[in-house]
Amino acid sequence: MITLNHYLIVSGILFSLGLAGVIARRNILIIYMCLEMMLSAANLALVAFSRFNVTQGLPDYTAQALVFFTITVAAAEVAVGLAIIVALYRTKQSVEVEAVTKLQG
Amino acid sequence: MSVFTIEAFLAILGLALLLVEAFVPQVSRRTIAAASIGGTALALVLFFTAASHAPDSLPSFCRPWMQLDQLALFYKGFFLVITLLVLWLTHECAPYLGKYTLEGRLTEMFSLPLIVCAGMMWMAAAQDLVTVFVALELVTVSFYVLVAFARKSSLALEAGVKYLILGALSTGVLVFGIAWIYGTTGSLSFQGIAAALAKPGIAKAPVLLGAAFLLAGLGFKVAAAPFQSWVPDVYQGAPIPVTTFLSVGSKAAGFVVLTRTVDALLVGHSVIGPEIKGLLLILGSLTVLLGSLPAIYQQSVKRLLGYSSISHAGYLLLALACDDSTRSGMTSSGIVAFYLATYLPMTVLGFVVLAILRLNGGGEDIRDFRGLAKRSPVLGLAMTIALASLAGLPLTAGFMGKLFVFVSLVDQAYWGALVCAAIGAAAGFYYYFRTILAIHSPETSPASEPLKLGTITKACTVVLTLAILVLGLYPKPLQQVLSKPAEVAAKSAH
Repeated sequence: MITLNHYLIVSGILFSLGLAGVIARRNILIIYMCLEMMLSAANLALVAFSRFNVTQGLPDYTAQALVFFTITVAAAEVAVGLAIIVALYRTKQSVEVEAVTKLQG
Repeated sequence: MSVFTIEAFLAILGLALLLVEAFVPQVSRRTIAAASIGGTALALVLFFTAASHAPDSLPSFCRPWMQLDQLALFYKGFFLVITLLVLWLTHECAPYLGKYTLEGRLTEMFSLPLIVCAGMMWMAAAQDLVTVFVALELVTVSFYVLVAFARKSSLALEAGVKYLILGALSTGVLVFGIAWIYGTTGSLSFQGIAAALAKPGIAKAPVLLGAAFLLAGLGFKVAAAPFQSWVPDVYQGAPIPVTTFLSVGSKAAGFVVLTRTVDALLVGHSVIGPEIKGLLLILGSLTVLLGSLPAIYQQSVKRLLGYSSISHAGYLLLALACDDSTRSGMTSSGIVAFYLATYLPMTVLGFVVLAILRLNGGGEDIRDFRGLAKRSPVLGLAMTIALASLAGLPLTAGFMGKLFVFVSLVDQAYWGALVCAAIGAAAGFYYYFRTILAIHSPETSPASEPLKLGTITKACTVVLTLAILVLGLYPKPLQQVLSKPAEVAAKSAH
């Protein structure tokens, strides 16, 4: 029997992996993928919580509605984000983090 | 015309201007600027005429997720004012901004702020986390574009990438926090969360986890520690009008959501009340210190204003951690709103002066400010007052804001935070006055010819300067506007 805890553990692992990737990787595209993974982890937690929050035999759907918003917003974010990363590649011919270290105090 | 339709009007105007750019390319930049500035000014006028009968104007279908209380109305007005100022500043900066954009086009710089403004106004009224999330992302995603818009400048592009990565990171953290808050309280509305937290049986650790993630995600938007590292870089790289918008608009939007979240988390006998207060105090103190201490070494005024914006976020967080202050007669949310109202004219004025120097071929470093008082007495005086107010000199607006925060901290006997805030304020005096000394130094910067100001520029500078002085000398009217919600709440409690 798969319980809420199993989902939460998977979600926690996904989130940590994403965060570790954001901190450790040097390629901006991969960092961006890791960010999307963190968002998916949060979505998984939301859906799981929603599914197991049962009142009168029905799950509470508010959180699942939020998940749809999150997915849509993430798509918009990816569209804008990739455009900026492409613009960066055009000017610097690189998408490594070393390409963005000029701004320093 | 009700308050509710103003956001829709702004968003539609923004979209329409984007379409005009795409399908009718021969429309000049001046027309688009006029439409956008005129539209915002019209929205501001309509807002003030509609605000008096606001609460009944909300259609019933949006009552569950929106509320037009005094605080929401104050912030909506605030966002309209800052958007108008930013659009005007963009128009002023157009000659040099055009050099850095693709084919010199600037339409998005005039249409996206309208959409951002609509998003921020929705945030001000939001009553549940779904609305907060969608409105917040509308603002953030538009800001990604705005920050990176001057893409021929590699600094702006770099700032855009940094803002993008850290913004997306904070979104992930925010949604994760929302998930855990929902999982433990079973609700996404502020009211439901507050009600669930007041019940004694709730498990403490998971709520605390969710609340910590939620506060961290929102902390990014307001430039609070430990997510403050993007601020100086992004502020320095982004075009000046966008930096202004980020440092005033985006921060205030973050704080209105933070105010509502913290209110929900701290309400009554909330099980996690003491922990959240402790967290806010620690983060606030840390933010003040991390904002003020590195600022001492800064040579670039734009970066300096970035660090100053971090330390102001710290004072605001400390204000949020306090209970309602009996001594100043203001609620903690009222103090935050008041502080932001004082923060608006002084920060905008700082950036306006920076933009004028930039337009006249100057740079953004402290040495470019040398002899400013000689080159233009009006600008020299205005910048001196703005910086003195940012430092918190008595008789200026900044002093009143800081005074309320310090009084609340004394009221609650949060001595550790008080010491940190005092250290931050002292460091502030040092670095702001270093710039003031440069302004009044007898020798001038490499460019030494007198600065000529247009009539509108001069008028705006004078109005902003007067706003700083009036708020510093006579804060009572604004204080009364902001202390209203407490009275209403007290009445309904009896």
